[in-house]
Amino acid sequence: MIHFLDVVNWSRIWVITIVGYSVVFTALVLLIFVFRLMPKLLNLHLKRRLKKEGKIVEADAGEEQYIAGEVNAAIALALSLYFNEMHDEESNIITIKRVERRYSPWSSKIYNLNNILPPRR
Amino acid sequence: MRKFVTVFTVLGLLFMVSVLSGGNVSAQDVTPDHVDSSSALVKGLHTFWQYTGFSNVTSGNLIMIVVGLFFIFLAIRFNYEPLLLVPIGTGILLGNIPFVEGFQIGIYEEGSVLNYLYFGVLKGIYPPLIFLGIGAMTDFSSLISNPRLMLLGAAAQLGVFGTFVGAMAMGFEIHEAGAISIIGGADGPTAIFSSSKLAPHLIGSIAIAAYSYMALVPVIQPPIIRLMTTKKERLIKMKPPRAVSKTEKILFPLIGLLLTLFISPTALPLLGMLFFGNLMKECGVTERLAETARTKLIDIITILLGLTVGASTQASVFLTSQSIKIFVLGAASFIIATAGGLLFAKIMNLFLRKENKINPMIGAAGVSAVPDSARVVQHEGLKNDPSNHLLMHAMAPNVSGVIGSAVAAGMMLSFLM
Repeated sequence: MIHFLDVVNWSRIWVITIVGYSVVFTALVLLIFVFRLMPKLLNLHLKRRLKKEGKIVEADAGEEQYIAGEVNAAIALALSLYFNEMHDEESNIITIKRVERRYSPWSSKIYNLNNILPPRR
Repeated sequence: MRKFVTVFTVLGLLFMVSVLSGGNVSAQDVTPDHVDSSSALVKGLHTFWQYTGFSNVTSGNLIMIVVGLFFIFLAIRFNYEPLLLVPIGTGILLGNIPFVEGFQIGIYEEGSVLNYLYFGVLKGIYPPLIFLGIGAMTDFSSLISNPRLMLLGAAAQLGVFGTFVGAMAMGFEIHEAGAISIIGGADGPTAIFSSSKLAPHLIGSIAIAAYSYMALVPVIQPPIIRLMTTKKERLIKMKPPRAVSKTEKILFPLIGLLLTLFISPTALPLLGMLFFGNLMKECGVTERLAETARTKLIDIITILLGLTVGASTQASVFLTSQSIKIFVLGAASFIIATAGGLLFAKIMNLFLRKENKINPMIGAAGVSAVPDSARVVQHEGLKNDPSNHLLMHAMAPNVSGVIGSAVAAGMMLSFLM
C-alpha cells in the first residue's frame, strides 16, 4: 500500500481535485450572479414601461414580492374549493336520447353461451 | 401430475448420483462418455439437467440472488426508492440466474436481448434521457428566488472530490477513481454516465452503490445532521421565497444551459438534456412534450436502466474486492457530501444578517438525491419545530446539487478522458 501510494502522481490528483472543485463553485457562483441581477433588470424594464404608459411606479416593491407560505396555502385552498365546486356547462334541456342499438354478432343473443352448451339434465 | 413427479424424481436421483460419485455437474463438461446410462431417456434428462440453473449455480449467484431479494424487500416493505430498487432488484435476479454460456442469454453475451438493452447503459444513452425527464418535472423557482443557496449544492460536491482522493489512496487506477468519485454526487444517472466513459467494467458496482445509498438517504443523513447542528440552529426559520415570474423561469434553463456548458462542455449530454427538459416545462407551449418527458419517457428509461444495471451484477463480475471497496467509498462519499453542505451552510450564516440567516440543515440537501434529501431536511425541521417547513428552501440546494454534480462529472471527464 505504501509502495503504491508512492507510485501515484499525487500532484496531478490534487490539481484535478482543486481545479475541479473550483470550477463547480465558479459555475454556480456565476449562475448566482446572473440570477441576482436578473430580477433587477426585469423590474427596470417594467418600471420604464409603466412610466411610458403614465402609470404610477412605487419606489420599491421588492419586499412585497415575498408571500408568506400561509398566504400561499390559503390562496391554493380557496382556488381548489372554487374549482371543485364548479359545474360543467349544461344546456338545461333535459331529454332522453334514444339509444341506438345496431345489430352486431358480437353482442347477439343467438350466439350466447347458453345456446351453445347442451341443455342441463 | 404423476408424470411431473416422476420426471423430477428422476432428475433428483441423477443429481444425487452425480454428486455422490464426485462428478462435475457443470454443463460445459457434458460429453456422452460421462453419462453412465445408455438409455436415451436418461441421456436426454441428464443433458436437460446439465442445462438447468440448479446444475450450474454457484455460491456467488446465490449471494447475489439474496441481495436482489433484499432490494425488492426494502422497496416494498420500507418504500425505499421503490421505482429504482424494484427494477434493480429484479435485474439482479435476472443477471444471476445460472445458465450455460453460448446461447445469447446473459447480459455480457453479444447479441442477447439484455446485451442490446445494456447498450444504452454502456454508451451512456439512458442517463441523459433520465435528466430530460428530471428537467421536465423539476420546479427551479425556489432556486431562482434565492440563488445564493446554490452555493450549498456546490459545497456538497466535496463528496465527489473527497472520494476521488480516497479512491486513489485505496489503490484504484485514476480513471476508475474518477468514475467512483461521482457516487459522492449522490446522482445515479451522472454516476452511470461517467463510469460508462471512464471505467465501463465498474458500472454495475458503481450504479448499485450509488442507488443503494440514495435509497438509504433517510437513514444516513439524519444522524449526520443532528451531529453537526445545534438545536438552536435547527430551529431557525427562513424567510419565505419570493414569487418568481414566468420570464425568470423561462430564462433560467436558457442561461443555465449556456453558462454551465460553456464552462464544462463535457457535461453537455447531461446538463443539455436537464435544461432542455426544464425549458419544455416552463415555456408553456410544449406541454405535451414536457408531459411525455416527465412521465412515460422517464418511466421507460427507468425500467430499462434499473433492470440492466441490476442484471450487470453477475456474481462472476460483481463479487470482487473492488466492489467492496466501492461500497466503502460510496458510504464515505455520502457522509462527506452531507457534512460539506452542512458545514458550508454554517459558514454562510457567519456572514449573513440575522433576518437572512439560513437553517444549516438545508445544507444536507446539497447532495443531489432529488427530492429525498430535501424531504429528509423537511422531516428533521418538523421534528424540531412542527411549524417550520423547510422543503421549499431545501429544494434549492437539492436541484443545484444536480447541476453541481453534472458539472463535477464533466470536469472529471475532461481531465481524465
